Amino acid sequence: MDFILSSLIFTPLLAALVILLLPVRLQKPIKAVTLLAALVQMGLAILLYFRFDGATVANGQTGYQFVQQLNWIGFSLGSLGRFQIDYFVGVDGVSISLVLLTGLVGVIGVISSWNITKNVKGYFLLYLLLLTSVMGCFLALDFFLFYLFFEFMLLPMYFLIGIWGGPKREYAAIKFFIYTLVGSLFILIVMIGLYTSVIDPAATAVEMGLLERGQTASTEVLTQVQQMLQRNQISNYNLVRTFSIPAMMEPANFIPDSLLHVLSGSVLWNLPLRFIAFLLLFAGFAIKVPSVPVHTWLPDAHVEAPTPISVLLAAILLKVGGYGLIRIVYPIFPDAGTYFSILVGGLGVLSIIYGAMNALAMKDLKKLIAYSSVSHMGFVLLGLASLTNEGVNGAIYMMFSHGIISAMLFLVVGVIYDRAHDRMIHNFRGLANAMPAYTAFVVIAFFASLGMPGFSGFISELLVLVGGFGAPEATGLLPRWLTVVAVFGLLLSAAYYLWALQRMFFGKFWIFPELRPNALITDLNTREYLMLVPLAVLALVFGIFPHLLLDKIGLTVNGYTEMVLLRGQEQLGLILSTLK
Amino acid sequence: MSDKLDAILAGAGSLLPELVLAGFFLLVVTLDLFKARSIKILLPWLALTGLFWVLVLQVLGGYTSGDTPFLDLLLSDGLARYGGILFSAAGIFTVLMALQHPRLEKLQEGRGEFYALVLILVLGLNLMAKSVNLLMVFLAIELVSIASYILTLTFKAEKRAVEAGLKYVLYGTFSAGVMLYGMSFFYGLTGTLAYTSESFVMGLYRADTLLVTVAAVLVLAGFFFKISAAPFHFWTPDVYQGAPMPVVALFSTGPKMAGILVILRFINNFTDADAFADVQLLLGVAVLATLAVGNFTALWQRTPRRLLAYSSVSHAGFLLMALLAFGTGYTSSVLFYLTVLLFMNFGIFLLLQVAEEKYGVYTLEGFSGLGRLQPYFGVMALVYLLSLTGLPPLAGFMGKLLIFSNVWEAYTLSANNMLLALLILGILLTGVALFYYIKIPYYLFFKGNQSHENLVISPSEKLLLALFALPLLVLFFKPDLLLGWIEQLLAQTL
Repeated sequence: MDFILSSLIFTPLLAALVILLLPVRLQKPIKAVTLLAALVQMGLAILLYFRFDGATVANGQTGYQFVQQLNWIGFSLGSLGRFQIDYFVGVDGVSISLVLLTGLVGVIGVISSWNITKNVKGYFLLYLLLLTSVMGCFLALDFFLFYLFFEFMLLPMYFLIGIWGGPKREYAAIKFFIYTLVGSLFILIVMIGLYTSVIDPAATAVEMGLLERGQTASTEVLTQVQQMLQRNQISNYNLVRTFSIPAMMEPANFIPDSLLHVLSGSVLWNLPLRFIAFLLLFAGFAIKVPSVPVHTWLPDAHVEAPTPISVLLAAILLKVGGYGLIRIVYPIFPDAGTYFSILVGGLGVLSIIYGAMNALAMKDLKKLIAYSSVSHMGFVLLGLASLTNEGVNGAIYMMFSHGIISAMLFLVVGVIYDRAHDRMIHNFRGLANAMPAYTAFVVIAFFASLGMPGFSGFISELLVLVGGFGAPEATGLLPRWLTVVAVFGLLLSAAYYLWALQRMFFGKFWIFPELRPNALITDLNTREYLMLVPLAVLALVFGIFPHLLLDKIGLTVNGYTEMVLLRGQEQLGLILSTLK
Repeated sequence: MSDKLDAILAGAGSLLPELVLAGFFLLVVTLDLFKARSIKILLPWLALTGLFWVLVLQVLGGYTSGDTPFLDLLLSDGLARYGGILFSAAGIFTVLMALQHPRLEKLQEGRGEFYALVLILVLGLNLMAKSVNLLMVFLAIELVSIASYILTLTFKAEKRAVEAGLKYVLYGTFSAGVMLYGMSFFYGLTGTLAYTSESFVMGLYRADTLLVTVAAVLVLAGFFFKISAAPFHFWTPDVYQGAPMPVVALFSTGPKMAGILVILRFINNFTDADAFADVQLLLGVAVLATLAVGNFTALWQRTPRRLLAYSSVSHAGFLLMALLAFGTGYTSSVLFYLTVLLFMNFGIFLLLQVAEEKYGVYTLEGFSGLGRLQPYFGVMALVYLLSLTGLPPLAGFMGKLLIFSNVWEAYTLSANNMLLALLILGILLTGVALFYYIKIPYYLFFKGNQSHENLVISPSEKLLLALFALPLLVLFFKPDLLLGWIEQLLAQTL
């Protein structure tokens, strides 16, 4: 039993409890405790990254590392028999990158929050709760546990935007809360459908007396239970229904009478119920991604959120959406995933193009960055929909790389906002003359984001596009023109970044006279260097040495795409055959 | 005649909780006749003792006479016993809340009356849960109703209380009449009033479907009135607005819990989807209407009392929805939900009582900035409201999850699309619910221009607030503790 994952999740929570006990006026110690917790979390994440063995192939069912599984809630409910909810955490190639990212960005966020003066105790308390729930999301392998963290994330975020945000903060906070809650309700519907349909073969074997309690189940026993289940030979009272995500990935674990069974033939509005479940889940996570057309909460939330919260929102919280699609939606419903690949990929490309065009039109620098996030997250959808090795690798790489780069972008916006209390593009000109070092970092961030070779953004976009172009041959899922259109997104992102650069930073130094006096526009201070330098280095390192990450995730992704594709086509055939 | 007497004597043991309650009721009423201040002060504690005694009695069990009903009227089974535990707890909470209520504490005239009525109301609730005869149900409901009418009017000098009391009486007597009319139908159709018996069901099968449906609708109207389900909820906002806060908290839990238990027993006669399709459809429509009315009307409310009144309507909708999940053994889910509802409602109404009596907050805007001034108050409000919404990590989520699981299972069994529609609607309405519940924390934390006197919440209030909040956390993280016990109770005597 390895406690590293639990330590990752609960270190911030522990620190939050410590802060709760500290009196309000001790602002320095409160900040110090938060920083310490974030540093410990980062240290553990880096340790985990080095200890993680990229050669162990996780194929969905097995291969998770540092697993910890404890019985949490078990009860029987009327005719539904027994239920099992576990505290079940583990890490594989998909989550390792995001765990690392969360650790890194968590520290940057604390440094960025150092100047918060309003209600310091409350702020850092909520910040730590947020870190706990995000980390929990990336590590949970039990759907209930995942859902708990997923929902709990909303609350600290709601208050962080609503209390510490900009002028329209209340509106933005409520919009964020309602949007994402509705998303998670879609997920809840499917979760209920799934856990009433899926059994845990090992626990069921124990109930049936095939196994001693506490004994590990051999593959033969599991297969025997699954075969008996499919032949309806197990009494309802011996079935143990589970929330385990790996168990849900296995079609043999579905109860034959359940509506989400591949062969159930259940149909609603002329669509197989499994397809509807997929669409609901997809909608739930797409809101979080966010994908056009359910992205409208993001610009509002970003514009109103304080800088560190924007950083966290863009760098980590959005990743939960993409992660959910990869971890939950596709492996559990591979059939619908392949069936609707054109929809997922299409929405991805739509996000890329529409997000970029919106960014082009924005007058507020922060809104521009927010729409660039929408655009870049579109690549995640496209890469995933292609279901090629390159595409899925690219999607995960994009999430990691966007985490680093968007953190930098929002910090850069924060720098100018701190000085001028304004971030309208047309209010600034020639900033390069007044703030040369700052301009250098802006250039790095912009170029990293638009996919300049040498930065991590390039690797991820390249991988996704290669995956997309290869998809027609390799998986037969996406039409080639879709990827061709996506390429224009690169062009557009170059356009909006370069244009912003030209308008704000080049030429003779001028700022809108009614803002602040020019003398206050000073270059970067130490604290800002402390945040921007590591991020720039990371963007470069992961741009020049992509194998640092790809070695850890590559084999998992190979197994993943193979499993999803194979099962997808097989199950899709079965579902379509039951319809005739 | 002597047979009857023997039966009464033999079965009286099963009515021990009710007898204790009646005894304490008489004691409080008698002592109330004395004018001495020292005796007046004693009265709530006396009521508390009685309720606590009954609670312990029901938790420990032992008095239960078995599975034959007393005089074919009152059945002391596990369901009634668990209900009784909830009712006693509700009664205890009501008295504790009343002790924190400054104006109720000052009340000299009618002080004993108040606590005596709480006792008699709890007695009525117990009888409701135990009834297996329609006439007994009627009597029990009337007992509860009459106590409720008077409790609404505790502050007779307030115009609002009088208005509320009058509306309550008018609606109440009307629905009681309708219910009685329906019961007479059933008697005519089946020849028996023992509505949980075999012969009652057989009678229903023989009778004309239309008549059965009409009778069921009439009887359910009376039940729906008690649990404030649409379209019999109109009294709810007015009564919640006019009655003293401890009474509102009691109304939002006690009669609702008892009403649900009665409906639970009653509805078991109509599980056959072929024979009673119309009854089931009408129930489905009622669930739909209750959920919609409760949630959407709550959106427009400006005062916390009315907002919570409509929230109470919507919770009735969720409970009714669970009762439609035939064949899935939903009893323990329903009892779990009722338990959670008990703690949530007493918590939030105690909070409102503090807000009204201490800070003079009567509107949603009035909460502005209070959460920042009094973080304890703010956090507690958040806990109760999020639990009412049904968000993790609070027990409200678990309650809804269990109910939705039953409904999904029932949908799997019956492929009845109405259930799926209700399920999806119920889940999505949580989004709407968040929108109105979050208004209170919104004012508490986000708005800051209202000046409040910085009065400190008393330690006893803090303790009570924590007492109601703690189970909400525990029941989320370890629901199996309670569910296991419920299953055990139900298995013992059923």
